[in-house]
Formats: sequence, C-alpha cells, structure tokens
Amino acid sequence: MFARIVNAVELLALAGVVVFVIFLFANEPGSAGRTGGPGAAGGPVASGAQLFQASCASCHGANGEGGIGPKLAGGVVITDFPYEPNQIAFVAKGRDGMPAFAGTLSPQELKQVVNYTRTSLGR
Amino acid sequence: MTAAAPVRPGVSTTTKLLLILVAGAAVAVALGVYANEHTPTEQGPYRLFFSGTIQLKVWFAAAALVLAGVQLLLGVRLYGWINIPRQAPAWLGDAHRLIGTTAFAITLPVAYSCLWALGFQSTNTRVLLHGIFGCAFYGAFVVKVLGVRTKGLPSWVIPIAGGLVFAMLVGLFVTGSVWFFTSSSAPRPLF
Repeated sequence: MFARIVNAVELLALAGVVVFVIFLFANEPGSAGRTGGPGAAGGPVASGAQLFQASCASCHGANGEGGIGPKLAGGVVITDFPYEPNQIAFVAKGRDGMPAFAGTLSPQELKQVVNYTRTSLGR
Repeated sequence: MTAAAPVRPGVSTTTKLLLILVAGAAVAVALGVYANEHTPTEQGPYRLFFSGTIQLKVWFAAAALVLAGVQLLLGVRLYGWINIPRQAPAWLGDAHRLIGTTAFAITLPVAYSCLWALGFQSTNTRVLLHGIFGCAFYGAFVVKVLGVRTKGLPSWVIPIAGGLVFAMLVGLFVTGSVWFFTSSSAPRPLF
C-alpha cells in the first residue's frame, strides 16, 4: 500500500516536471513584459530618468554610482532586489537611511523610477 | 543440430555510466542555456501565503533541504553505514523514495521562479554560484534517478550521486536562503 502511494507521488512529481518545462516555454513574456529599455526615448524610462534625477540622484549619484546612498548601477540593484515588486515596496516604505517615497511619488512613478534603475543604470 | 544463436553482448557498465552522466550534464547545461537566453521577467509569479515570491523560495528551499537531509540519513541506513534503528523497517526504502520525491517536487516552483523571473546572472560571486549550483543540482538529480533505475552499476554510484545532489542543495541554500536570512540588503519581511 505504502509503495503504491510512493509510486503515485513519483508520478505526480513527474507530471510536475512536465508542467515546469511547459510553463518555462509557454509563459515566455512578450514585449509587454518590460517597459522600455536602455536609451528608449519617451515613455516610462524617460519619465523614470527624470524622476531619478529629481528624487534619487542626490544620494545615489547622477548615474547610480553611489554617494551618500549605496551604488545602484552595474547590476547592484538587481542583485539586492532580484524581484522588482520588492524594490518598489522598499522605495515606497524606506528603511534605515532611505526615506519613504510613497508620499511623494505615485505608484506609477515609483514603478517608473524603479524600472529606470533596473534597466538603464547598467546591468 | 542447430547452430547456437550469436550472443549479443550487453551494454557495458562503463557505457551505461557514461550515458547517465551525459544525460545529467545535458539537463544541467540545458537549464543554464535557458536561463541565459531567456529574458528575465523579474516578476514574482506566485507567493501562496507568503508576503512575496522570494520569501516563498527561501522557505521552500529550507524545507527541501530538511527533507533531503532526512532522505540522506535514510539512505545511509539503507546502505547499512549506520545501525539506527538496529532493525531496519521494511518500509525504509519506500520512505526514502517518498521523502526524496517530495523534496524534489518542492524545489520545482523555486527553480521555475529562478529560471523564469531571474535567469542566469553573474553580477557577483554569490549569484553566479547560485546559478551554477541550481543547474548542477538538477543534473546530479538526473544522474541519481537514472542510476537507481539502471541495473548493474557499481555500488558506489548511487551514494556519490546522492551526496552530490545533497551538496548542490546545500550550496543553493547557502547562496540563497542564508543570504536572505543574514544580508541587510535582502528584501524583508522574513515570511
């Protein structure tokens, strides 16, 4: 009886592997998966750049090279925040020396400036 | 009298072992290629009852490591390298399989998120090692499973493959979950 249960669990795991592989390829994001890209003119990235210069550059440097605040450029921000939603939440709420921007930036602006740090400051 | 049928030599042990190793390497390389070529979405595909995907990942990885540790101990008992309990119960082998399968299944949503959302990165040593451990884990797992299912292999193949699987999982845990639990720059909350 126990052996049958184990066999069933193994079959389920095998099915899980199949689903895993199918989703890897079927769930491929289209061009809408990312907003803009490095150097893109207009749109969210351009707005993100303006927001970054206005709200972030004084501490993190004009190019995200670091200053009073830590370096963001060169992929550092991606390493610290592998997931974009975590970074947005961090920027919104702040922590330690990082001020909270939820009161000064709208959710859309938060997303734009975070997207800018992730796509345009070098990976 | 009829002539004896020619004896077809079976596949040699070396060939079997080589084929298994090639299969494992192919899986590891395929995962690495996918992770490198795929455009990371950087989105959290699921979080269940956790506050975010990364929290789900680190705790699932912790659960998988605990189960793998138990499986390792059961495997050691199966091989008779320890004698606790003195009389091995008949269900020990099935329990070993069940726990190992469960541990493996738990890693799948973690791996999916890593591959689909983050891809292969080399921005620092930690993330590079994490990616390598991840690919090698599944490669070693394939070697272990195929090794178990293939008859006539040397007795040292399974323990070494199993040990490698566990070692890769420990590497993944150290470069992922331990970083999350200890780094001041890691996202919070813990759960």
